[in-house]
Amino acid sequence: MDKSTSLSKRPTVLKSIASRPVDFANRIIIYILFILLTIISLYPFVWLFLNSLKSETEMFEQSWSLPTVYHWDHYARAWEFGISRYLLNSFLVTVLTVLLTVTLSTMAAYALARFKFPGQTVLLFFILGGLMLAPEVSLIPLFRILVRMGIYNTYFALILPYTAFGIPFTTFLIRAYILGLPKELEEAARIDGAGAFAVFRHVIVPLSRPIIASAALLQAMHSWNEFMFALTFLESDKLRTLPIGIMSFVSTLRTEWTVVMAGLVISAIPMILLFLLTQRQFVRGLTRGGIKG
Amino acid sequence: MLVFIYIPVIQNFIFSLYRWSALDPTWDFIGFENYIRIYSDEIFWTSTINNIWYAIISVVVQIFFALVLAALIESKILSRQFGNFFRTSLFLPSLLIVTIVGVTWQLLLRPDIGLVNQMLRAAGLGSLTHAWLGEEVTAIFSIIGVSQWQWTGYVMILFIVAIQAIPKELYEAAIIDGANGIQKFFNITVPGVRETTLIMATITVIGAFKVFDIVWVMTAGGPNHASEVLGTYLYRSGFRNDEMGYASALATVLFMITFVLAFIQLRLGRSGEEL
Repeated sequence: MDKSTSLSKRPTVLKSIASRPVDFANRIIIYILFILLTIISLYPFVWLFLNSLKSETEMFEQSWSLPTVYHWDHYARAWEFGISRYLLNSFLVTVLTVLLTVTLSTMAAYALARFKFPGQTVLLFFILGGLMLAPEVSLIPLFRILVRMGIYNTYFALILPYTAFGIPFTTFLIRAYILGLPKELEEAARIDGAGAFAVFRHVIVPLSRPIIASAALLQAMHSWNEFMFALTFLESDKLRTLPIGIMSFVSTLRTEWTVVMAGLVISAIPMILLFLLTQRQFVRGLTRGGIKG
Repeated sequence: MLVFIYIPVIQNFIFSLYRWSALDPTWDFIGFENYIRIYSDEIFWTSTINNIWYAIISVVVQIFFALVLAALIESKILSRQFGNFFRTSLFLPSLLIVTIVGVTWQLLLRPDIGLVNQMLRAAGLGSLTHAWLGEEVTAIFSIIGVSQWQWTGYVMILFIVAIQAIPKELYEAAIIDGANGIQKFFNITVPGVRETTLIMATITVIGAFKVFDIVWVMTAGGPNHASEVLGTYLYRSGFRNDEMGYASALATVLFMITFVLAFIQLRLGRSGEEL
């Protein structure tokens, strides 16, 4: 009895707690903590951007202040000096990897979720086991396989391993989602004479669109950021993706730090833009997967 | 596709029993000699200890600290707009390619123009300045710090989502019972996000043993192998020193470590059974 009345009065209860002096002090401390953390998080971005626009001497002598002359030409120079090439490579590798992974995984997930066949549990564990593996472990054997297949130092030297490492998790994610879908629609489609593939294309894929989008995002972030394979399986500079491309960009421009910084800013833009444009879906996509690079 | 994942593990073990290099076609079968060498290899132990530090610090910061931050943001102490702003700002670093993070922090940590030392001097703490990445003691901890900078906000977001899934009634009941913020945190929030915590802990710990990229970008394991981790040491042995057999043996050890860790944590987190 008593409880239900005080529940409905909740806002006033909260307000009275919040206005106590101790809580006010706590609140200030918490604000200060977060403001400090925000500065630590964001200041490197600001610093990088401002210094990328300064002249070389100004950057060394006054790295705190605003630039006196804005050198936008550093951006043009960074762009021509290779960043555009690396961006394009990253883009190609990412798009192809995502398409391949998502297509294969969705089919595998459907098969695992809806059909019974011998060895199914074994196969499922087989796929899940792939999740645990440190990629370092397969680095050397993979290197040899790629050389022998004749695709070492091509885009495929990245696309195939990324896809192979992406499939387990993606399949797992999509399978869990398909298991939660109602079966009635599929049954209705079957009664109407649709075959397994038609059901997959016209029922399962449209219904699973949200999880497919999440899976695609996670896979895209992975291939966009991947470092070790990109370092090992490609050697020609023309094919490099951003993570390694930036490294060679930095070492060729050793002394021109401001141009390097401009290059770093350009490389950071695509992901941040994608995030800012699709914030809500982006976060939802991440949390469905809940993993990090 | 599974050819790319499973066969390599077995191959890797077989490769580790030989002395071989990528350039030279001769393979000497040497049995477990590579493993004996690992056992008495100081760089291997330095690397392992660095990985352990990496794991400990990451768990403290990215699990405990991130959870506290998430709880504070969700506790409505901050106004809604500020909460959202903080959340987004802390998340942004995780969107950067590791090379961008590494190179930027290399600049910020430089002894001469780096911002970190300048700030310390400005705060009158000149005695604390270091050549962060150039000194053997500070190198690995600087890298670990940068990694926390990049990932804490990310984990925080995952915790925020987990906290939002806790039924509001629990908190309301607790307020009525006169619980304070800290009691609510330990009695409702912490048990409520147990699942997420276990998953994140597993990923963070295994991730700390798999780490390669940020270390390679920032110090490549130097100075004098002081910031070497298993990933970089393995890479250096195989692809720089061309001791492929030894690198394969290191990879097998790494595989065992991550396998055991994953197994332990699966056991601890029996609740995560969705199969």
